[in-house]
Amino acid sequence: MIGRFVLKRLGIAFLQLIGVALVVFFMIRMLPADPVARLVGMNASKDAYEQSARALGVDQPLWQQLANFLGVFSNSGQKGLLQGNLGVSWVTNTPVLTEIRDVLPVTLEIVTYSLLLAFLIALPLGLASARKPGGIADRITLIWGMFAGAQPDFWWGLLFVFVFYFLLNVAPPPMGRIDPLLATPQAITGFMTIDTLLQGRFDAFLSALHHLMLPVLTLVYVVSGAIVKMVRTNTLRALQSDYILYARASGLPEAQVARYALRAALTPAITLVGIFYSVLLSAAVTIEVVFTMGGIGQYAVRSILAFDYPAIQGVVLVVAFVSLMIYLLLDIVHAYLDPRIRY
Amino acid sequence: MRTRAALTVKLGFAPLLAALSIAATEPAAAQKTLLVLGESVPASLDYDGPAGNHPASQTGFHNLIEPLVDYAAGKVEDGTQLLDFTKFEGALAESWSFDQATLTWTFKLRQGVKSCAGNTFTADDVLYTYARAKSLTGKAPIGYFLASVASVANFTPALFAKTPEAIEMRKLGDEVKKVDDYTVQIRQSAPNKLMLPVLTIFGALTYDSKEMKAHATTEDPWSHDYTNNVNAPSFGPYCLESWKKDEEFVAKANPNYYRGKPYFDRVIYRKVPQSANRLAILRTGQASIVESLTPREIESLRKAPNITIGGGYLNATMFVLLNFKSKPFDNPAMRKAIAYAIPYQDVIKTSYFGEAKQWEGLVPSAYPGYVKTKSQYSYDPAKAKQLLAEAGYPDGKGLEAFADAFKLSYVAERESNLGPTATLMQTRLKALGIPVQLDPQPATQLADRQLVKKDLPFSLYDQSKPVGVDPAYAMQLYFVTPPRGVNNMTNFSDAKLDELFSKAQTEPDTSKRNEFLAEAQEVLMDKLPFVPVVENKLQFAMQSKLKGLVLYPHQNLIWRHLHE
Repeated sequence: MIGRFVLKRLGIAFLQLIGVALVVFFMIRMLPADPVARLVGMNASKDAYEQSARALGVDQPLWQQLANFLGVFSNSGQKGLLQGNLGVSWVTNTPVLTEIRDVLPVTLEIVTYSLLLAFLIALPLGLASARKPGGIADRITLIWGMFAGAQPDFWWGLLFVFVFYFLLNVAPPPMGRIDPLLATPQAITGFMTIDTLLQGRFDAFLSALHHLMLPVLTLVYVVSGAIVKMVRTNTLRALQSDYILYARASGLPEAQVARYALRAALTPAITLVGIFYSVLLSAAVTIEVVFTMGGIGQYAVRSILAFDYPAIQGVVLVVAFVSLMIYLLLDIVHAYLDPRIRY
Repeated sequence: MRTRAALTVKLGFAPLLAALSIAATEPAAAQKTLLVLGESVPASLDYDGPAGNHPASQTGFHNLIEPLVDYAAGKVEDGTQLLDFTKFEGALAESWSFDQATLTWTFKLRQGVKSCAGNTFTADDVLYTYARAKSLTGKAPIGYFLASVASVANFTPALFAKTPEAIEMRKLGDEVKKVDDYTVQIRQSAPNKLMLPVLTIFGALTYDSKEMKAHATTEDPWSHDYTNNVNAPSFGPYCLESWKKDEEFVAKANPNYYRGKPYFDRVIYRKVPQSANRLAILRTGQASIVESLTPREIESLRKAPNITIGGGYLNATMFVLLNFKSKPFDNPAMRKAIAYAIPYQDVIKTSYFGEAKQWEGLVPSAYPGYVKTKSQYSYDPAKAKQLLAEAGYPDGKGLEAFADAFKLSYVAERESNLGPTATLMQTRLKALGIPVQLDPQPATQLADRQLVKKDLPFSLYDQSKPVGVDPAYAMQLYFVTPPRGVNNMTNFSDAKLDELFSKAQTEPDTSKRNEFLAEAQEVLMDKLPFVPVVENKLQFAMQSKLKGLVLYPHQNLIWRHLHE
């Protein structure tokens, strides 16, 4: 049954992506500027301008540009979206797919580690504070939540750089994913921590971990508060429910009762983590900028500021695709966690 | 120490941190490495490509690709080497001569020069470079543009036509001719003193033709993909070692470099987008030199131990653009009123912390041929008030009809640099009854309105410089009536200026030419196509042990001069 459900969802996802592609295509062409200007710059004589417009293909009628983008009735001689080609960036002249393949894992690495760690911290903390409202764990949660939410993540990031790098010197300088004096390992998965291990580069692995320390710490610090609260509220609610009352009345050990409550609290917490995951794909840009991690968020901002149409289209499609996959995964996990859900 | 221990233990990271700190502070390799931090790293190494205007990409061009000629060294000021813009010295060309009768330049090329790939430099490399420029195959034809600015014969707008004849004309003819392996002749269509200045600019640097051709394909015969994404093969002081766009650009010294191998064996050019982080990394001693700090950050480093600020006055300026096509800026009195309402000294003090001076012309004062004109403007609110009344808007009455024209635009990404001046101007102009609103815009959007649509009424700008060191180059770029004027952002058109420019362009005698240029500068300062605000120092912050900084008109850091 779940197989059919997944297939159906993938089919819908494909249609959604086509919709997103069309919307993005037209939306960016409504942006209040002409991308050719950036390209020709000071050399903006009329001839040079026209030459550049031709080179970008923006001199063509809109329907033809769309056809070239999609790869149907194309006159550009290039493959289009339907053939798996996202075009070439107007800023760097590199295929957009290649660029995204480079930048997406950077963000995924930070966000995955951060959310994993946040989840592992938030779960016991949330449970503990729910079991003893007003206790130490509960108070820590409250204070943490207030602090972490009081300032934006980039502010915390800069503060952490100042404290842990500049004053204490226990963190590396915020300039990328690995010590600049070490040779960058060849990209296999794009995850620096995995690639270094695959190539047996233990020095680079430690350096990569070290460089992940502050960005991950910042994100964990900022997002954990919400997850703790979510776990706490749902555990509290579960603890007061009839089935827990019944379990307790039946004399089940407290640890088993807690496990039942946890299962109920897990579903919304995982949903929240999933939502954070897809939001952070683009919202981690502030963290990327502070720590010079050239991830997809930075790539998106750079593309938007440069009116790099193919890159913007590519980023939106890829982020949409990853988000759709995350939501699909969430649904599958829910079905596993909650026996009432049937597909 | 107690604080540090307490903090780390609290976070439960202590053992991990200790292990990681050791790992990350491993000693550097024995070779001498220069770590440069910038806002960005090269996006492309094709100067005719999509990143010709990108400063970090230009840094890549200039450190990898070698010019035919360059400026000679001038005086040293505060440890910074300036150039003597009246003297050229040979780079890939050893000597040259000019024949007035045939308008032909003959360049004798240096022998025994090897490229990074090991190829020997010959006349074919120069011909290839010009043929590539003339092919107009790049996305932004800068090579063509520079050749046409220097009046190289047959580099004319006719090449852009879509006819078969025009396409045929895009092949290199005898305007650039190989006499023998080490002699090249370049013919001009008219006398033009800009030939040598243009040869120092990035769009005229010489590629290694053998290596370029080795990477050509049928679809891309001029290797644009290769230079955009892989390498720029040439005869320069550094060769590309590795390059990850948006992250890092690593170059190693060219062991064959004809001037001798540079001091630093390896240069790591890293992107650190936050200027506060560039500053912090420099202060801890990990970076050798950093680019693009704000004046406030530079000021904060003055007393920092082991840090030196290098730099000086060259061609970094800030100016106000008033569009002649936007009312009420078509009114000369209105333009002058604004010029008298800018608090120059306050801008110098609060925006630049004293590291700037009032710009008293529309050509950088370090350029030969610059003159301090008779018309000058100072902060004089009474005079501004009087001019405002003369323009028909006493105390600003009637200006509310032009709310859109008084939106002061500037590049939003440069808020830290331009914001303070914009706010100062807004306050002083408002006090006179001029209703200014601030309108920061993303750079691309601003560039579109400023360079292509040319409909931006009122803006503040600090990122443009005439890279050709010559008043005529500056005038052709900004002030001459199009189509001869290339980038006339304020729709300025003045018959007298155009006439003086034409005379200067073709005048072979330097002193006579300078007279025309001086008169043209008087016209500019009277008509004010830009209102000049300040000339500021071009500055780099570096470790004190680092020496040898040279300032170039392209404002890029040239690594080969640096040493410890």
